[in-house]
Formats: sequence, C-alpha cells, structure tokens
Amino acid sequence: MRMIEIKGFIKTSMVDWDGKVTSVIFLPNCNFRCPMCHNYELILNPSKYQSISISDVKRYLEMHSDFIDGVVITGGEPTMHKDLSSLIKQFRDMGFQIKLDTNGSFPNVIRNLVEKELVDYVAMDVKAPLTDGKYKKVAGVDVEISRIRESMDYLMKSGIEYEFRTTVVPTLHTEEDIIEIAREIEGAKKFVLQKFEPKNAMDEKLRKLKPHDASYLKQLAEKCKCFVSKIKVRA
Amino acid sequence: MLRLRDDGYRPGREEYTKEDVTDFSLFVRTSSEEIHKWDRNKITEALLRETDISEDAAVIVAKEVEKLVFNLNLEDITAPLIRELTNAKLIEYGLEHIRKQHTRLGVPLYDVRKIILNQNKENANVPHGPEATNLTLAERIKKEFALIEVFSHDVADAHMRGDIHLHDLGMIDRPYCSGQNIEYVKKFGLNLPNAISIAKPAKHPEVLIEQVIKFSAALQGHFAGAIGWDAFNIFLAPYLVGIDDRRMKQLAQILVYEFAQQAVARGGQSIFSDINIYWECPKHFEDVPAIGPGGKFTGNTYADYVEEAQKFALALFDVYYEGDAQGRPFFFPKPNVHLTEKFFKTEGYDDFLYKISEVASEKGNTYYIFDRGDTAKISECCRLAFQLREEDLEDAKEPWKMRYSAMQNVTINLPRIAYEAKGDDTRLFEILRDRIELAAKAHLQKKAFIEKLLNMGKKGPLALLAMDLDGEPYYRLHRATYLIGMLGLNEMVQSHVGEELHESDYAYFFGLKVIAFMKKVADELGEKYNLHMPLEQTPAESTAYRLAMLDMKYYPLQASAVVKGNKKRGEIYYTNSTYLNISAPIGPIERVKKEGVFHPLIEAGAITHIWLGEARPDPESIASFVAKTFKNTQNAQITFSPEFTSCLDCNRTSRGLMERCPYCNSSNVEGITRVTGFFSKISSWNKGKIGELRDRRREGSLGV
Ligand code: SF4
Ligand SMILES: [Zn+2]
Repeated sequence: MRMIEIKGFIKTSMVDWDGKVTSVIFLPNCNFRCPMCHNYELILNPSKYQSISISDVKRYLEMHSDFIDGVVITGGEPTMHKDLSSLIKQFRDMGFQIKLDTNGSFPNVIRNLVEKELVDYVAMDVKAPLTDGKYKKVAGVDVEISRIRESMDYLMKSGIEYEFRTTVVPTLHTEEDIIEIAREIEGAKKFVLQKFEPKNAMDEKLRKLKPHDASYLKQLAEKCKCFVSKIKVRA
Repeated sequence: MLRLRDDGYRPGREEYTKEDVTDFSLFVRTSSEEIHKWDRNKITEALLRETDISEDAAVIVAKEVEKLVFNLNLEDITAPLIRELTNAKLIEYGLEHIRKQHTRLGVPLYDVRKIILNQNKENANVPHGPEATNLTLAERIKKEFALIEVFSHDVADAHMRGDIHLHDLGMIDRPYCSGQNIEYVKKFGLNLPNAISIAKPAKHPEVLIEQVIKFSAALQGHFAGAIGWDAFNIFLAPYLVGIDDRRMKQLAQILVYEFAQQAVARGGQSIFSDINIYWECPKHFEDVPAIGPGGKFTGNTYADYVEEAQKFALALFDVYYEGDAQGRPFFFPKPNVHLTEKFFKTEGYDDFLYKISEVASEKGNTYYIFDRGDTAKISECCRLAFQLREEDLEDAKEPWKMRYSAMQNVTINLPRIAYEAKGDDTRLFEILRDRIELAAKAHLQKKAFIEKLLNMGKKGPLALLAMDLDGEPYYRLHRATYLIGMLGLNEMVQSHVGEELHESDYAYFFGLKVIAFMKKVADELGEKYNLHMPLEQTPAESTAYRLAMLDMKYYPLQASAVVKGNKKRGEIYYTNSTYLNISAPIGPIERVKKEGVFHPLIEAGAITHIWLGEARPDPESIASFVAKTFKNTQNAQITFSPEFTSCLDCNRTSRGLMERCPYCNSSNVEGITRVTGFFSKISSWNKGKIGELRDRRREGSLGV
C-alpha cells in the first residue's frame, strides 16, 4: 500500500492549536477550490513539493517530545486520504495529541477517527451559510451541503473538543452571512473568525483586496456571540 | 633628511622668554573665533605647553614653520593648518613622539556636512537632529582621543585592524552600562551633584516615578549603554498601598510614556531603559525591610507588598499590550520578566504568564529571563545580565547599595582567528588566548582612565558617579565587570571545520569547545589582573557589519566563503555571538535548546530570539513554550520578535514588513522591529543589519 505523502512539515508552531506547542503536517490535495485558499499549490501541484519522510518527522518528534504537545494534521484536505488513520496512529502511539483540520466534507472519516479515539481536537471550516449557492461561491466547487451539516452535527454531539471557523473575506462574505453561519452552528462550543490575508490567496483578484480591520472582526464577533459558547477572532 | 637631536634645555614652562615678533602681515584664524596677527611665538608656546619638546627644538621648529608659511605668500591662514605644518616639520625632524602629542583631533568639513545632513546608521536609536549630530561629532573626536590617549598602541591597532572591537569608544569617558535599584532614589530623593534644586524622598508614587526617570536621564549621560532598574514593581509596591485599578493603570502609563518619550537624552535618543519585573517577591528580598513614602521604613518587609507589586505588573502589561497612540509597540522601557522556581509556585502565575505572553505575541515587548536554581540577576540592555554573586546578595539586604556596572565591552572577532589559524587547532586556540589577553589589556587601560576621572571626585567630569550619599561613591569601581564579547562563532567554525554550527554535531561541539575555552581563559586572566571578566553575547549592532567588512578587506578569500548577507549589495554581516545561522531551517525548539547550551558559559548575558515576522502565536501556546524552556533547557533568556509596518498616512499599524500599507495602499510606511535588543525603525539601520533582516527565518510560514 502506498503511504500518504507528507508535503510539508512545520517543526514548531504556536499558531495552530490554542494553548499548545505543536508540529504541523501538511497533506496534499483537496476536493474544494476556495478562492481564498493559501495552500493552493499544495492542492493544485502537490508534486512541486518534495515529500518528507515519515521517519524524519518521527525522529524529530521523538527528540523534542519534551516541548511538543501535539501534531496538527492539515492540508489540503486530510480526510481525503484513505490511510489517514494509520498515519495518525503512528503519532498517537508516540504519545502525541492530535488535531485535525478539515473542511468537513467527509463526515464518515471524521466519525471514524473520533470513535477510534485518534483525534483530540477537530477544527472544521464553515465556508459560508449552508445554502448551495453561497457555499459554492466560497468553496469554489459544488458542495453536498448535507455532508457538511452531518459533520457539524456529529462534532457538536460527539463530546470531543472542536471549533468551527470561518475565514472572513471581503466581497465573499457579508456581515449577515457570518451571523447566519453563527446561527446555523447555534450551541457550538467555539466559533473562530479568522482574518483573511490577501497576499497568498489562490484567486489573484482577492490578492488586491483590503483586509478587514481587527476591530471590524471584533464587532462581528460581538454580534455572533449569543449563538455559541465561545467566540474568538484570530488575526 | 634633516634630523634634529632633541636634547636641548627644557625650562620650567613659565621661564620661557618670548622672542621678538617678526613683522609679517599675515592673519591667523583661530578655532576660538578670533583673528590674530601672525606670531611665531604661539607655535613655540603650543609646543612647549602640549609636548615634552625642548625649548631649543621648539624655537627651531617654529622658525622653520614661519619660513615655510612666509614663502607661501598667503593673506590669512587657519590655526589648524599651522598645526599640521608644524606636525609635518616635526616628522621631518624625526620627532614622531612629539608630533603625536601635538596631534589635532577634528573632523573634515566634508564629514561634518555629511553628519549634519545624513542619518547616523551606527546606532539605530539615534534619531537625526541637531542633538544627534552633536553626539556624532563628539563621538568622532572622543573615539580618536581614546585610540591615541587611553589605549596603548597595540590595543588601538588591534581595534583598527578588527582583531578585536572596543565598544563605545566615542564614550570613552563613561563606563558602559549600569543596573541599580530604585531604593537609592527612595532613600535619598533626587540629590544630584551640581543640580540647581534638590528633591526630598518622594511621598507619592507619581513623584517617585518622575524622580526615577529623571535620575535615569542623569545616569544615561554618564553611561554609554542601558540603564536598568532591578525588581521595579517590587520596590515601587510600598507606595501603592490602597491604590485603585484606575490610578494603578495611570501610574503604569506615566512610567512607560515618560521613558518612551524622553527623546531628550543623549543625542536626542530615548533613554535605553530596562525595568525588571517579578511576579513573586524574589527570595533575596523577602526579608528586606521595606522603604515607603518619604523614604521611611514602613516596618514591613517586601514580601508583605506582593499584592501591590502584582497589581502594578498587570497594569504595566496592559499598557504594553495597548501600545502607543497608533498601536505600535513601545520601544522603551524594555520589560524583563524573571521566571524563577518560585514564580511557578506563586499563586496566579499562570494568568500573569498568559498576560505577558499576550504582549509577546501582540507587541513583542516581553523579555523572558530564566533564573533557575538559586540564580538571581538584573537584566538590561540587549541581553546583559548582572548575575548576583555572594557579596551582591549581601548588598541586597540594603538594596540602595545594589549598583552594578559593566565598565567596557570588548568583542573578539572569531572568524578572523580561524583565517589566521589556517586549519590548525592548536594555533586557533593560541591566537584566541592572545586576543583575550589583548582584551584584558584594553580593560585595564579603560579602568585606569575612568579611575582617574572618578578620583577627581565632585569637581571632576564624573561627579555624579562620585557622589557619596551612603558612605561609598555611587559608582563602585571595585564591583565593576569587564565584558568579553564574541562575534561570529558560526563563521569561525564554518571556516575552521567546514560546517556551520547547525550542520553537524562535530561543528556544534567544536563551537562549544571554543566558548568553554574563552570562558576558561577569561576567568584565568581575570584572576591574574583582578578583573571580573565574564563572557557576554555582544550586541553586535554595528560590530557584525564592521568586522565582516574589515575581514573582506584583509582576508577576502576566507571571509567571502563564510560571510552572511548579500555581498553584491554590500549588506554583509557575521552571525551574532554564538547564535546559529539566523536563516537556518531549524525551528524555535531546536534553536532554544541548542543555543541554550551555550548560555551557562556566557554569564553576563545570552539570549535566543524567536523572529515572528507577521505570525501571531496563541498566547497560551507561547506560555507553554516558555514554561518548557524554563524546565527543559539551559536557555537564559528568550524573546519573541514580531515585525510591524506603520503607515505614515493613515496612521494604522499592521503586522509584518510590507512595502505598502495594506489598508490605504500608501508607500509612505515605516518598518519596525527589534534591532539587537530594542525595537527601532528599520530606516535607520546600517547595511549589515538590513542584510540580516532579509535573512531572518520567521516562524509560522509553511515549513521546510
Ligand atoms: S478547503 Fe482548505 S485546502 Fe481546500 S481549497 Fe479550501 S482553503 Fe484550500
Ligand atoms: Zn495606511
């Protein structure tokens, strides 16, 4: 069986999992084509990146297990890979906590990982309010909304730690859109509004946009606060 | 060539009888803004006054100069030119030692014009303005003076060649830097020599803070480097009893804004200031009787004021978090937070750690100082630390006595030693020993000079440091330290063993061996000369550039193989002190661990920088990283350094270095980040620093 190829490795990250020092693993490919995607090279031309050997990654993790609390699995879309769970298990067996970043389009994979206790934290993107037209605009492809809904519902009742997060892009989202998202995840543990950085967006048109002010996002967060237990702005 | 044997009569200087004035209608423009008629006797007089030439020789030289000038058929002449003509004659007569004594120090017109019109790039904290220009000009002259008068020929030459670097030569008449305790101000008020008015010990915290800042400004005029205050919040605390949160915040604002905006100090710079902060009452202050309002003992000890000290610390970090009116980080004063074993056992430490980590992430001000075991230190400047030795802990019982200073910093150019050793290990260590010996010699010479100034007491130029309010002079010469710095360990190792520190275990351990050897030799020589000579990581603001340039000139083949930066643009540098290559693909964990192994050898200050760029780490993650650094490494200090772009048009500040403001697209922007220790504007950096900035590896990008 061909193992998943690891296409990127950040040795130390303090931005990917609140409260933890982590290493981050990037997996290639994605079923979405979000215009604001930063890692588009990883989904469009994964062969551009050299693969990193899993044993190198493990050696590093082993050596610095006195600092590293967890491993963040991100992409691209990790849940597209069939042998994701066996990859995760290798880190799990070394004693690391695992965080999964996902766009939520493969609810069965998420459920499977949670049930096997292979993940401790799931960060799921909610790209837009759950209507076909709006989701398509932000995800760049047709999306089966029901699957997104299923992942959401599952996470909210699974008992696991999770967050929903939305990167707020001027021109793609209105204020009402964001509030609408908050309403759809009503009762969620944590909702994060992420600031959009135009510089590295896949869609060139977006690169010229003026980013939102942190203060705008904070105001927006105020308006969404009533729907969720915890809200956070990540700038 | 004509030679004059100068063994003529040397009269007592007042016995000298003037010769008749030659009537010769030439006018002399003097430097005291006067025009005099030509008088040959003036030359003779100057020679006799300034040098130990004999009267006969002086008269002959003066006559010769007169002849020369006469033949030039001038209408007027300047005094400096006459002096140079005289010097030329002295050389002609083989009186080189007299010529030296008769040297004129000064600055060419061209240079003065440039200095007045252009920014000084040697020190990024000097703004450009009349005061700054004065500083630059004065430093130029004092630097020359130091190299001729204070240091011996071999030491001066070694500096000029770049074997070693003598720091702050332009401030030769001051010690390097100073760390002390506000207890002195609390107990004695503001009672400075030559001051027009004297202030009694403060009764209110506002007044105390003002006094401390004024005193800092006065001290800044007497030291080349930073002014650091020990355990600031702990000692302020007795003034804070019963103060509500609002006033607490105001006090913190007064402290930060007053320090940050004191752009009137030396050369129009802000005061290079550091405040050391503790969450807990440090062990060595627990039982110390506290001084409160009016300079009176309160009857309690400092352990009794922890609550007030903590409230102030929290308020202070609120102020740092907000930044200035435009949301930019405050450049000064630099907050050094000490983490000790006790810190992690003190209630509320986690909330405080979170708070300072929020500031670290958002603005970058926080310096984390790790005092493991029983270590106690005062930190300041870019990384300097005065480790408290046994006798210092004795002082701690009467904290106003805690006044520590580094007299001088001498940096050894390590890569050059590798070039000279040509691959021979034994030779490498021999040369290294010689260079440290030379540095020790430089220290002795500076010490002798400062001692001379101090001995002039209250009438002398260092009257402030000679003031004596508690039975000994403010400046305690016998307690001064003499720093041995190092530059470019990475390039030395790269040149000598073929790999950089991070590239192989062999290279790394060789680097450790070099620093351990330096420490051993510095200790030995310290003992021999009775100087406390700890190692310090050189704050290589201009040294990294200067020494790299000199090596490119003297050792072009060897140097160009290892020098970092961009050679085409001339933006070259050596890696700072014992750092690993700043562009090496190693994460912060490895950096903190590997660099940290050097730190215990570098007693007077070592630090690891984690360059954040635009990344904004989660404060809790930073807190966790910091706690692990304390527990799992030997690292002495870390700091997280973000970068900012401040827009001069829309006044907004954004994260990261950008050519245009992301909000209004204006290109009228200013980059801000840390230079070596303090924040500054990038537009004022020298070329070597800019090369280094381009190479910085920032965390939080798609890795490896
Ligand atoms: S889901 Fe994520 S990885 Fe996939 S295209 Fe969208 S932003 Fe990029
Ligand atoms: Zn702007």
